[in-house]
Amino acid sequence: MNFFGLGLGLATLLIIGLGFVWVIRGEYYLGYLWWPYVMGFGFLLIAISLFVPSVWGSALLGAVGASIVWGSTELKEQAVRAEIGWYPFNPNPKPQPPLVEQIRKWPAPHL
Amino acid sequence: MTLDWIGVLAAAATFFGIWFGHVGVRKIEAASPTIWLPTVIALTLGLALEAAALLTQNLYVSGVLGIVGITMLWDALEFSRQHNRVRDGHAPANPHNPRHTRLLAKSKSATTVNWLDRDPLGHVVNLPPEVQSV
Repeated sequence: MNFFGLGLGLATLLIIGLGFVWVIRGEYYLGYLWWPYVMGFGFLLIAISLFVPSVWGSALLGAVGASIVWGSTELKEQAVRAEIGWYPFNPNPKPQPPLVEQIRKWPAPHL
Repeated sequence: MTLDWIGVLAAAATFFGIWFGHVGVRKIEAASPTIWLPTVIALTLGLALEAAALLTQNLYVSGVLGIVGITMLWDALEFSRQHNRVRDGHAPANPHNPRHTRLLAKSKSATTVNWLDRDPLGHVVNLPPEVQSV
């Protein structure tokens, strides 16, 4: 029996579950306009996983990276959910990401 | 230096698993007249994928099957959760699906409107109270 896949699957489920938490918190404190940086960070982790010699380390880093890329596409919808009252809305001004005016011109991805 | 592609494969499997858990579950739940059928199919597929992950000796195959299998098992639960979202107005009902038609008739919150289909405005938006109270 090879328990690698089952273990990795369970770990990935936890990683995806944590994704819900950080997307909600991240949007609350930072706002959805940070999405390109979040997405870039996710892809960076996937790229780094290529160079991790441990099988578990590489696989987990890849799963975390993919979960972060997905989360970046959820930030816009999370902002809408907060605005319509399904989640707490943060009325305080949010920190603007670098190149915010450029980012505003791009359609925020949502799948 | 040798590149280890297991991370990229795990990433692809994870992304596919999350995508299917969101987009696939949404579309199948909207089209299916029953909840039990897609639930049983996802449960069976998930268990079969996990069994295959346990039986293969190839780490790459085991990893991919393990991730997709576990997310498929979670999707079995998500069909019921999506049904409840439609009931509560948090996801749009499909008026051509008889199960959704019953929800539209029974639940004050159920609607064909997708409240999330717009851009953020940066301020609070008031929805009808029956939707907001959920």
